[in-house]
Amino acid sequence: MKKVKSGIRGVIIFLLCVIEVYPLFWMLTASFKQQSEWTEKPAYALNDGFYVENYIDAWTRGHMATFFKNSLICTVVALVFIVVFATTVGFAVTKMNWKWKKAVGRYFTMGIMVPVATALIPLFQIYSKMNLLNTRTCLIITYIAFGLSLSVFLVQGYLRSFPDDIMEAAVIDGCGIYRMMWHIVVPLMKNAIVTVLVLQFFFKWNDLLFSMTFISDSSLKTIQTGLLYFQDEFGGKNWGAIFASVSMSVLPMLVLYTILNRKVIEGMTAGAVKG
Amino acid sequence: MKRVLANKKAIALFVLPAFVIYTVFVMLPVVWSLYYSLYSGSPGLDWEFVGIDNYISLFSDKNFLRALTVNCKYIIVVTTGQVGLGLVLALMFKFWLKRCKTIIRTLVFFPVVLPTVAVGQLFSKIYEIQPNYGLLNSFLDSIGLSNLVQPWIGQESTALWALCVMDIWVAMGFYSVIYYGALLDIPDDVIEAAKIDGCSGWSLFRRILLPLLRPIVITCLVFSFSGTVKMFESALALTNGGPGGATKSLSMYMYDVSFTYNKVGYGSVIAIVIFLICVGGSMLINRFDVKE
Amino acid sequence: MKRKALAALLAGIMAASMLAGCGSNKEASSGSDTKTENTDTAGSTDDVDFSGEDPQLEKKIKILTIWAEDNDNGIILNKICEDYKNNVNPNFDWEYEMVSSDNLQQKIATLTASNDLPDIFAYEAGAPLKKLIDADKLVNISEELEKIGVMDKLDESAVTLMKGLSGTDDLYDLPLGLNVEGFWYNKALFEQAGCEVPATWDEFEEVLEKLSAAGIQPITTGGADKWPATRLINAYAVRTMGNDVMTKTANGELDYTDEGLVAAADKISEWAEKGYFGEGVTTVDTGTADTMLTTGKAAILYTGSWYTQVLTDESQNPAGEDGIGFFNIPVADESVSSATSYSMNCGNILALDKSKYDEGTAWFLKYFCENIGNVAMEELGSIKGYTYDVSVDDMDPYTKLVLDELDKATEGFAWWEAKMDSETSKVAQDNVQTLLNGDMTGEEYMQSIQDVYDMNSK
Repeated sequence: MKKVKSGIRGVIIFLLCVIEVYPLFWMLTASFKQQSEWTEKPAYALNDGFYVENYIDAWTRGHMATFFKNSLICTVVALVFIVVFATTVGFAVTKMNWKWKKAVGRYFTMGIMVPVATALIPLFQIYSKMNLLNTRTCLIITYIAFGLSLSVFLVQGYLRSFPDDIMEAAVIDGCGIYRMMWHIVVPLMKNAIVTVLVLQFFFKWNDLLFSMTFISDSSLKTIQTGLLYFQDEFGGKNWGAIFASVSMSVLPMLVLYTILNRKVIEGMTAGAVKG
Repeated sequence: MKRVLANKKAIALFVLPAFVIYTVFVMLPVVWSLYYSLYSGSPGLDWEFVGIDNYISLFSDKNFLRALTVNCKYIIVVTTGQVGLGLVLALMFKFWLKRCKTIIRTLVFFPVVLPTVAVGQLFSKIYEIQPNYGLLNSFLDSIGLSNLVQPWIGQESTALWALCVMDIWVAMGFYSVIYYGALLDIPDDVIEAAKIDGCSGWSLFRRILLPLLRPIVITCLVFSFSGTVKMFESALALTNGGPGGATKSLSMYMYDVSFTYNKVGYGSVIAIVIFLICVGGSMLINRFDVKE
Repeated sequence: MKRKALAALLAGIMAASMLAGCGSNKEASSGSDTKTENTDTAGSTDDVDFSGEDPQLEKKIKILTIWAEDNDNGIILNKICEDYKNNVNPNFDWEYEMVSSDNLQQKIATLTASNDLPDIFAYEAGAPLKKLIDADKLVNISEELEKIGVMDKLDESAVTLMKGLSGTDDLYDLPLGLNVEGFWYNKALFEQAGCEVPATWDEFEEVLEKLSAAGIQPITTGGADKWPATRLINAYAVRTMGNDVMTKTANGELDYTDEGLVAAADKISEWAEKGYFGEGVTTVDTGTADTMLTTGKAAILYTGSWYTQVLTDESQNPAGEDGIGFFNIPVADESVSSATSYSMNCGNILALDKSKYDEGTAWFLKYFCENIGNVAMEELGSIKGYTYDVSVDDMDPYTKLVLDELDKATEGFAWWEAKMDSETSKVAQDNVQTLLNGDMTGEEYMQSIQDVYDMNSK
């Protein structure tokens, strides 16, 4: 009886894994398909051959090399700032003593609710007045500004369960606020920081709307723009090449995630979102 | 310690830079769009002050009301689905899984990594009916349920639900990982003690686990809720709002109004509605939070 | 030579709409500051003599389009810029940007809002362009080309078509295509079912029935992208009610709920109900529909001459060089709409920002108009709406076919939403899916269009 039960459980878990992993596998097969295969055979069919042309197309026509570099620069710079700001702001509004800390904390988290598309025209005008349009700077600033809310929210959640006595001990040892922050708080928050990093990395890496609105110079465009090279004016799309470029753009994320995986899960575990 | 934590200089240094960036680049545009909402047309095109006309026309706009209904249904189903199924998965990991925990936890996280375009295309191929049956229809066909074969995303009766399934699938792994973390924090002896007291299965979950998980459930709800209110990209990728307007959300309608109809003023009003729903809903959810 | 006749006829058809359009030209409503700025710069080319040598002015222009640099019109535009720089003006430079066609309107709206439109940009003809014309944002192309002396380089039928679409006396955009639309069919499937190419609408319906009876899906359309489906309603509406039917409705001379139009909408809904489109037509996207015809999954497809891109690509067209044929929309009544009237369009057009326009742009424009016809013919073997004097020897049969059809055309008519404002057009497109699914009758569909029209024309 017990054996049957655990057998069933095994099957369910196995099915789950299949459901979760299948898309990646499917994407790979799709990226090797010729255009006509999409209509000739069901989409779940394996690719007929390895139509590597798609990858070549994606790399050359989609300007992968340039876009990849741009995405990397914008994302990494934005992430550094997000992490620094999120930790300091998060710490200040949860652990430090000042009059407006609750209000400011709420003010920061309110940004989660802002629908992005409304901000486009005003933002564009702001950047235009500041002469920042069409630069990496404006993209990075946007990424930072729109990444702050969620990150502060996550850090706040984590810090709420952060033991006060550790800080107390540090102060008794003669630590000032900055040393305490750097030597005590940050190391203990490593997990939360990694969580913020990974989540924000996904969001920024997949951004298309901001980069398309603010950047017009094709040598500064980001990776998701590459996908545009494979659709035409009348709605026709070269799916093989699209999936080839998606596969290539997903790769760094998977690598990053697998490396950081333990930390991410521990980060979330360790109360990144504890109420 | 109090003195150290009340260091005014440090507070200013910690908060101000982020505060300025956030205010200028997130909040200012929001306030700006409040001002836009009093105008007709789009800046540079038919831009005229109309006062609160835009707000008034909101109530008689059938398309807006329809998008609101669609969006509300979506919020209810997807938020419950993501948060609920995430919890179920986490419980399975905790109590059923003996081996390969790390690998499986890594795997369930994968869908979050994929760009929405790819997920949308994947699901539209799964639901496909023409020119070939997709995965779902082939499956139904092969087990003899050919009368259930239908254009899942091509008809009003099923399109929204098909979209919900996709979005739940994308995020449930993410939530399960969060819950799983919280479950690990619950000491084993608490569970053992409960088991000795005769609690098992459902009652163990209801009496012991759920109260302990409550704060995290609420956080997840807020998180998922604010995401679903802004429903946009996934619907765009899977159905493009169709068929008819069956999957057109508030955000999509706002985008159409602002940029296709060139009525940025009116679009701003819709954005404000979205924002208010978000704030209101989150406050409601937070009321269930027990204050320690 | 037939082009001339075609142009004259088009002019007649579109005349009514132009009158309607002129009235609103003056009261541009944009901010007053932008207006003064516009009028100042627009006059700057007045005293320039364009007949002489290019003065090689220092100039950098920005071009915003929806075509990749190595695709379709992108190739041509970049080639022209490159040639101009290399052969004529070494002080010239250009910046080429591409956005997705789905986001073109958003990008232009954002740029308009901060008064920062690029020198040259791709846009949609018809109502969207009209908005910019009314706001006094665009260069009056007719005037400028007249001054520069290259008006004759534009194909007259393209000019008439485009003036008609924006409903103005003058031209405010440059064509980047001259397409005919119609039905493409899979020859092997026609043979298999024993069908002939239909000449009349009744024959057409017989063909559909015959194909269906032979177990072949008679027709496919990209219902997911919506516009291919409304083109079918347009086809029937025009053939039964005349080439100018949609212009009349846009001008308010005819209601969208007119029985003839309701009948056209019902026709499509009837085909869907009979299963002519197969199952779940609203989930089929254009790309899929395109290849369904070439792979023999369906026998007929309505689309435009840009389809040759698919047909000449071996990986997308297993039917081969002679596998696919073309026929114009079959006629219902020759006296209402003739067999030589085609559905035509100029694709996405190019417009020039008024405030940035100056002598440097004008010289480039001159070179552009003089050479683009030939470049397009040489590079892509396609007509873009400009005169050309090169001939291509090894033209592939499909491109040849399109050129032949273009030559046959004596009259043209626009597509279903061409004259609708963007909101009406959106409703017409969204609801066509509901119509195809049978959740809406033809009457309800037309009523929904009429409702938005009424609301916006108040």
